[in-house]
Amino acid sequence: MLTLLRKITPKPSLVSRVVTLQYSNDAPNFDMENPFEKEKKSCILCKNNIIPDYKNVKLISQFQSPYTGRIYGKHITGLCSTQQKLVEAEIVKAQTAGLMATYLKEPCYLGDPKLFNVDKPFRPHRF
Amino acid sequence: MITYELCLLLRVMPKPELTTTLKRAAEAIFEKGGIIRKLENLGTRDMPYKTSVHGAVHKKASYFLYEFNAPPSSLETLLDAYSRDVDIIRRQIYKKKAIEPFECTLNDEILPPAYRKDVQELISEARKLEKPKFSYNSGLDYYPFQK
Ligand SMILES: [Zn+2]
Repeated sequence: MLTLLRKITPKPSLVSRVVTLQYSNDAPNFDMENPFEKEKKSCILCKNNIIPDYKNVKLISQFQSPYTGRIYGKHITGLCSTQQKLVEAEIVKAQTAGLMATYLKEPCYLGDPKLFNVDKPFRPHRF
Repeated sequence: MITYELCLLLRVMPKPELTTTLKRAAEAIFEKGGIIRKLENLGTRDMPYKTSVHGAVHKKASYFLYEFNAPPSSLETLLDAYSRDVDIIRRQIYKKKAIEPFECTLNDEILPPAYRKDVQELISEARKLEKPKFSYNSGLDYYPFQK
């Protein structure tokens, strides 16, 4: 059977041919946007459309350390630089106005939900 | 016209005394030719830190917020008048802020360093400081400078 088939198949011509490829008209359109592009990330305050205010102590004290009262950096809070600057300014304003503690987080705010994990910063600590 | 916010911490006292103190504070603004837009009661609560003023230590305070318009030159005298008021523990005047809408730039900030715009700018700044170097493929068959 095999020998019979071999005899039948014609030998390909040794002369090289220029093959011009042509796509049919119903080929898919590849000018579309990258379907695998990841979703654009935004920080938690921008996502919820919040602008920090010094009177809203419950909100801004979430960006304060309960141990030292200092403001967490943006590598921990995960805020964009604009929002981080606003939060830092509002915390200082609240502290000078006597609305917010300086060396600790007030005990009434200690049970608030955590917005970020201090031990797992978005970017590594510099120390 | 700039709108200011005045945050007043008042001594804890009964209601009639509180109203007279608030009226006194308001009249000080009116005397300077200002107008009051809003008066808000932020409640009475423990202060985050104790304060000693006018010979007494306060650990509790009533918080009030005035929103007012007044000539900027009068703010200093206003604060000075409040500092002499025995019932006022702490006072602070801030501008009422109006923030222009901005875009969140977090997506660009969490990129790897080589893709961040500020890092690229830093690198290009550092490249400017580099001294010109002799390139060996310039056709000269000897090194023209001292080695
Ligand atoms: Zn943001």
